[in-house]
Amino acid sequence: MTIHSIIFYLLSSVVIVSTGIAVTRRDLVHAVVYLIFTFFGTAMIFYLLGAPLLAALEVIIYAGAIMVLFLFIIMMIRTEPSTAPLIPPGQWWPVIGFCLLYITAGFLFMYQEPDFWVFLTPAMATPGAFGRFLFQTHWLSIEIISLLLLIAVIGALVLGKPAGKKPNKTNGNRI
Amino acid sequence: MNWTLFQPELYYFMVVMVFLTVSMLNSVSVKTNYYTALISAVIGVAVCTMSLRVNGTLFYNTYRVDLYSQLFKLMLAVGMFLVISVCNKLKSVDDSRHPEFYLLVATATLAMMMLTSAVHLLTIYICLELSSYSLYILVFLRKDQETGVNTALKYFLTGASASAVMLFGFALVYGKFPSIYLADLVESIPRFIDQPSVSIGMLLMLCGFFFKLGVFPFHFWLPDTYEGSANETTTFIATVSKVAAIAIMIRMVALIGGNSVYLIKVLIGISVITMTLGNLCAIAQQDLKRLLAYSSIAHAGYVLLGILCMSPNGYTGAVFYAVTILLLKFTCFMVVISISKKGESPSVDQLAGLHRRSPLLALALMLALFGLAGIPPTIGFSGKLLIFTAAMNNGYFLLVFIAMVNVVISLYYYLLVLKAAYLKEPVDDIQPLHVPFPQKVLTTALIITIVTIGIFPTYLIDLADAAVKYLM
Repeated sequence: MTIHSIIFYLLSSVVIVSTGIAVTRRDLVHAVVYLIFTFFGTAMIFYLLGAPLLAALEVIIYAGAIMVLFLFIIMMIRTEPSTAPLIPPGQWWPVIGFCLLYITAGFLFMYQEPDFWVFLTPAMATPGAFGRFLFQTHWLSIEIISLLLLIAVIGALVLGKPAGKKPNKTNGNRI
Repeated sequence: MNWTLFQPELYYFMVVMVFLTVSMLNSVSVKTNYYTALISAVIGVAVCTMSLRVNGTLFYNTYRVDLYSQLFKLMLAVGMFLVISVCNKLKSVDDSRHPEFYLLVATATLAMMMLTSAVHLLTIYICLELSSYSLYILVFLRKDQETGVNTALKYFLTGASASAVMLFGFALVYGKFPSIYLADLVESIPRFIDQPSVSIGMLLMLCGFFFKLGVFPFHFWLPDTYEGSANETTTFIATVSKVAAIAIMIRMVALIGGNSVYLIKVLIGISVITMTLGNLCAIAQQDLKRLLAYSSIAHAGYVLLGILCMSPNGYTGAVFYAVTILLLKFTCFMVVISISKKGESPSVDQLAGLHRRSPLLALALMLALFGLAGIPPTIGFSGKLLIFTAAMNNGYFLLVFIAMVNVVISLYYYLLVLKAAYLKEPVDDIQPLHVPFPQKVLTTALIITIVTIGIFPTYLIDLADAAVKYLM
């Protein structure tokens, strides 16, 4: 086992555990803080796999900006931690079913897959090469994402502003 | 780069931009919006028809334009035109939101068009997300805020989890193969299909498309979304988005190549459960839109039956069935929109006396329901016949038998709807339903198309056959 693999498994267990805790917390602030750990762990994994740009973006945007925004919103709307059980009694069967399904799939991987036990070797994608690849080969996808963001903005506006209330022009104070 | 190949998409992008501008203007009347949308949809159909026979690849091979994709683009364009043609009232969407409604319909159509042409997993995923997000917001646009929010949130959560599952599948396949261009995958996947990473990866990948089509483990959103969103939005989801889902399902299943042992069994199981569950649940429904939703689930099962044959005949059947669903489901929903007075979801009883209120609509509804049940002189019969013959040729006798039993079950609730429309006496109002002249023309055209293609399906079958050849 290479040193890379060991670090990888350590980081992934951190990510999985902190995500698990984040999902099961009833206090939203705690959940968000654990989620920050998840994003840090993911960023480290990206770095380990040789994608420093993605690692930096993950920390700056997700762990930094978005999670802080989440914290602000949670503090502004002041939600009380809910006391209802995490999984209502009727929903245990689907939960167990899906877990078993995924565990079976995991075991299948371990014992049936011929090249399952490969070890991680260092790799590197410089930001320049990464950007060139993305914006050259996949620029259609980038353009579609820009359309997706446009839709997201429209969606946010539609969600945020109740329909039928147009700004009242006659009462507007001109300065 | 040859931009003429990209014409339909560019045109629809232009339409999106037009409505983006309109949505920012203040003084555009409801009528102007409607006619702009209608005219742009008509031109869209013309553009798609013109580029039916073009061929080529674009954007560093991530985008392939061939008869298969162009045929589906034409279907999508026709679907969008049909949906917009019944939006003349658009009662359940606030007047100030109409430009956004048309904008989102156009983006969803554009995304689905690109989905039919995308041949790289990344592009496919992003197109799918764009179309899903447009639909989430469309569902939210219902005037009755509470229903809209509830429904849209439910739809969004189910959709987001399905797309997470799908992404996991993409990751597994990407980890196994160095390239995720479909052209490379179609060669490498069949060789490794019985290894867990590939078969599980493919199955999880298909989950995202199962969600779109409303196949068994991902069907929960369908009835709620159909009932909770505006009638026009439901029409769009039930027709256009189903066509796109069928297109991409065929493309993905065609990758498997036909010699998989495990995956085919899973698909058979899912198909049987889907059609049985859809039909059995539909019997109990009182709300017309919920009933049609469960019938959509059942039809997803039939389509899957055609797709899982993994033979050219099966794919042809599925392509033909996409046309069937588009025309028949649209006709049903047109009636739903007409009988709904204030944009609410009508119950089955509300159909009472339809044959006297509007004989034409009642006739259209009858033909559409007969078509959905698969009764001969309609297009629905040809579709079912193609799919069932393909399955028989592959030796799935039991499967066809189960499907036939399902068809009989479905006949029961379709006839219940017809009974309400033809035999039941209305309780209070029996004044004739006002059907505007253009809608009469459209209804007549639909009736003629449904029957004509039912009697002479050869041209469409040949076209579907030729289109499917590009998959291999």
